[in-house]
Amino acid sequence: MDKGKKERINNHSIVLKGTPIFTQANFAFVLSLVLFIILLLSSINYTTGTIKPVMFGLALTNGVFTLFQWFITRKIKKDILADGFVKKSTRRFGYIQIIGLLAGNLFVVVFSFQLVKKEPTAEYIFACYMILTQLVMIALSALNVFKPYVTDLFPISMLAMFVLTGIQIAVLIIIARYVDQDRLSRKMLFLLIPLILITLTGNIFAVLIALGLLVKVNKHYNPKTGKWDEIWGIITRNSTAMLGMFFIVLMFSISVVSLFTFDYAMAIENNYSAILQQPTLEYPLGTDNFGRDVYSRMIFGARISLVVGIASTLVPAIIGGILGALAGYYSEKADNIIMRLLDVLYAVPGLLLAIAIIAAFGANTVNLIIALSVGSIPTYARTMRANVLMVSNYEFVDAARALGTGDREIIFRYIVPNSLSPMIVKATLTIGTAVIATSSLSYLGLGVEPHIPEWGNILKVGSTFLETHSYVAIFPGFAIIALVLSFNFLGDALRDALDPKVD
Amino acid sequence: MKKRWIIMILSLMVVLVGCVETKSSSNKDNSEDVEVTDKIEIEVLGMSSSEDDLNIVRDQLAKSGFDVKLNLQPDYGSFKAQEDAGNYDLSLSGWTTVTGNPDYAIRSLFISDGDNSKLNDEELDELINQASTETPEEYQETYKQFEEKLVFDNAYTVPLYTNYKTQAIHSEILDEDTVRLSKSRSLAWEPIDFNDTSKRDEDPLIVSQTESSFTSLDPIKGNDGSINMVNTNMYVRLVNLTDDDEVTSEGSLSYNHSIAEGNDTYYFVLRDDVNFAKVEDGEAVDTGELVSAEDVIFSLNRAKDPDSVPDHRTYSLHEHIKDIEVVSDISELESTKSSNEGNPIIEELEQDLNQDISSLATDKEDVDNSKGSYQVLKVTTTEPFPQVLNYLAHQSAGIVSEEQVKSINTYDVESYDVDTDIAYGDQKTVTEGNSYDNQLYASGPYILIEKDDYEANFVKNPGYMAETENEAKIEHVTMSFIKDDDSKLAALRNGEVHIFYGVPQTKFDVVDNDDSLKRQSIPSNAVVYLHFNMDDRDVSESVDLRKSILYTFNQQEFIDYYDGNAEKAISTLSPLVDIDTELTADPAKVEEFYEKYEENK
Repeated sequence: MDKGKKERINNHSIVLKGTPIFTQANFAFVLSLVLFIILLLSSINYTTGTIKPVMFGLALTNGVFTLFQWFITRKIKKDILADGFVKKSTRRFGYIQIIGLLAGNLFVVVFSFQLVKKEPTAEYIFACYMILTQLVMIALSALNVFKPYVTDLFPISMLAMFVLTGIQIAVLIIIARYVDQDRLSRKMLFLLIPLILITLTGNIFAVLIALGLLVKVNKHYNPKTGKWDEIWGIITRNSTAMLGMFFIVLMFSISVVSLFTFDYAMAIENNYSAILQQPTLEYPLGTDNFGRDVYSRMIFGARISLVVGIASTLVPAIIGGILGALAGYYSEKADNIIMRLLDVLYAVPGLLLAIAIIAAFGANTVNLIIALSVGSIPTYARTMRANVLMVSNYEFVDAARALGTGDREIIFRYIVPNSLSPMIVKATLTIGTAVIATSSLSYLGLGVEPHIPEWGNILKVGSTFLETHSYVAIFPGFAIIALVLSFNFLGDALRDALDPKVD
Repeated sequence: MKKRWIIMILSLMVVLVGCVETKSSSNKDNSEDVEVTDKIEIEVLGMSSSEDDLNIVRDQLAKSGFDVKLNLQPDYGSFKAQEDAGNYDLSLSGWTTVTGNPDYAIRSLFISDGDNSKLNDEELDELINQASTETPEEYQETYKQFEEKLVFDNAYTVPLYTNYKTQAIHSEILDEDTVRLSKSRSLAWEPIDFNDTSKRDEDPLIVSQTESSFTSLDPIKGNDGSINMVNTNMYVRLVNLTDDDEVTSEGSLSYNHSIAEGNDTYYFVLRDDVNFAKVEDGEAVDTGELVSAEDVIFSLNRAKDPDSVPDHRTYSLHEHIKDIEVVSDISELESTKSSNEGNPIIEELEQDLNQDISSLATDKEDVDNSKGSYQVLKVTTTEPFPQVLNYLAHQSAGIVSEEQVKSINTYDVESYDVDTDIAYGDQKTVTEGNSYDNQLYASGPYILIEKDDYEANFVKNPGYMAETENEAKIEHVTMSFIKDDDSKLAALRNGEVHIFYGVPQTKFDVVDNDDSLKRQSIPSNAVVYLHFNMDDRDVSESVDLRKSILYTFNQQEFIDYYDGNAEKAISTLSPLVDIDTELTADPAKVEEFYEKYEENK
């Protein structure tokens, strides 16, 4: 290889790396390929050596989309290297890939939404993900029609969800047409009404869109909100982070929607005529040793895992944050007392403390949250204290003090808001740990009651049948991994976006 | 145009959505069912080890409209504390009748002021005492009345199911036909053999056990999972139980036994080929001392005397024994008639003996079976009590050496101090380390050499029925201590242990699918049941409420859960006495009795 060629390749990779659409195309291609391989492998019946036709068909369809994705990726690469931008004709291919939705290939769909729009705003991407979440939610709920019966609210809720999807598509079209990077006319605020409605289903993407629109409308009046676009711009360009966020929001909204479309009885009532069934349409993830539908249990389990995970992160973040802020702002004495006491707490291993608390006060959700919270207060306090120490030396704090502002106002109005970003990043990153801790405690029999569906509980039951009925353990295992991974991806992206070290 | 499409799609959806069957419409179809009403809160107590049973209990109660509060305790200690504090309405218990006789199955559980009894019902007491004096043919009816009173009339307990006893064997290593599975008796090691018999002397037989700490190697000082298997194999008994709980002399210290007319005198003719073994330099040595009638008398006397040792845990099993003595006058055997067809006792004792009984030895030095000199023992009971034989077959009636035990238990029982006094069978004396000083005298087929936290090593007793079919086949036995069932199974599969005694039902599939493993299952004497709190609770005051709860439980669902590896039960007697009654779940009765309870409140 001669030197010139090497340099050119080097240049190429630099150019390509700086183009988000290409990295996204590549990302979608790789994930789609993985999906294709998994589907292909699972379409073979290993005991009989035959092929399951439906699964195989699905695998092949995904294979086609993967191939096409590869083609698009090549095309984008060529376009960028030749002209420096992606040609309109290439962008049109995106419309074809949207059909991938029917084959369940979310990766190419997500990508194609970004491909078809030339300069996608954060709101546009959120709207795409919002619709996607909604569709997956409908699909997950719709699986219930194969059950012997559905909840009384199921028909009306499904209908409402379909109508809501229509509204969401309308919102997407409006956003795609009328919302760009610049400021927005006040008239567009009518979108807030449908968005609030959508938020009620737990679809947090709607909240993000609404906030984004509000920021855009007020852009010229409020310098503080200037970073909003920038932050979400960085995050939306990060495919893994968006995938993580999508999964989190999906879990959150399915927790809300399952109230109406899933029957709790199927998750907790034993059915002795259906013990340890293989996955079928009636029981998409099989049944456990009590004949309970693992699928319903997983859906209801998401609620506890999420609630406990988030609550046991928020509680110590708030308590630790306040303590840390006080310690950082006030004199050495207060600092010493608070921090040394917290050091004592820090010396106790977190999970052991949690086990002790649960053993003493009994196993239920509230105690679980308290048990998991107490142990992580010191780490939040330390983070907050370090930031407050730094921020309180800034000129604007001195200025506020010179103007005679009270301590409380200085702390909570000037210092705390400017020390929040590391806390947010830390919190996001530790939710994953909290989810694992919840599941670990349940797995050890110290979490919620054994019949209550919680991912750790389901995993515990499944672990007994790992060899004979592995699906009972594999699905909750994957769900825990996916949720933790999602929080970690999102946390990483938030760290990049908020850049707490530099700021 | 667009509008029309939207309307069409919407109406299509409405139609589609309308097609699915909703919960309330599907419930309407089974309108013949009884309407379930909301009921009071029931607190169910149990240990987390029986989490699965508790879940079924919870589920069935909940489906009948009861509001269930589960109280799960991690270990027996905290469970017992909760039970003693009375923090329950229903408590999940299990009972295994290790002696295989019905009296033991109910006496301590249900008689007023019994060891484990919380009941106080004279009618029940009467029936228990009456049945104990009766023979199997007679007691069936009495026990039926007992169950009727206990379960159906008073609903003191709720029976759930009878367990199966299961063991898995590595059949590539062991000859599966030589491994016995008995209903009550613990695993007997002596008949077990390898497929490759040339390995007998070199390779150890490896069995597994959960508990690594032995309560005591003195047979009367323990009756739990940690020593049942050990003491069964270290001490011979007067009689044994067959695999289905018949009393037999087969493989025991007696050639034959017989019950005299009146059911309160029992005769045993003893073998002369069982010697005590002791441990010297890590080897088992034949002491040359015969396991004689004197040792039996000593052993049984201390077994029935609560004050013979500190921490005596089994005297209540032997409280019916009145007297044990050596028979010196052969005419007594000739003149006494047996309860069985009225033959003279001597005829029954002489069955299949190589040499007829010509003289009775009172001193062990004079015993010589080949010359017709035998020792015959007479056991009398405080009242006619045929089931005493089952207790004599229990491991707590194992025979110890009078001389050895007396020489070690020199402390004063009243002022015994566990830290300074060393009692016979203390596990400290066999645990490796400074305190090791093996003083065991084993009368059974094997003797314990030493143990640590991971395993215990046993060696064959060279003086145990040598050159008979009862001689132990395999020279060495290693007991591996493995706490967790999954690890035990893994160890079995890769040949680290050869027998997994007590396989849980969830592992049956794995065992059955493994070609190198064989599973043996039989119905056991273990019954799982719920008992009511009879002290100052709604359930203790109202028999209607108890009955309402009783008819909530569907035993078939337990059996389904255990994939058919369980059986229906009425009480702890069910596996032992063939009584033809059944408890069937009945939603109508649940509601009926609950209404009565509400009315009388």
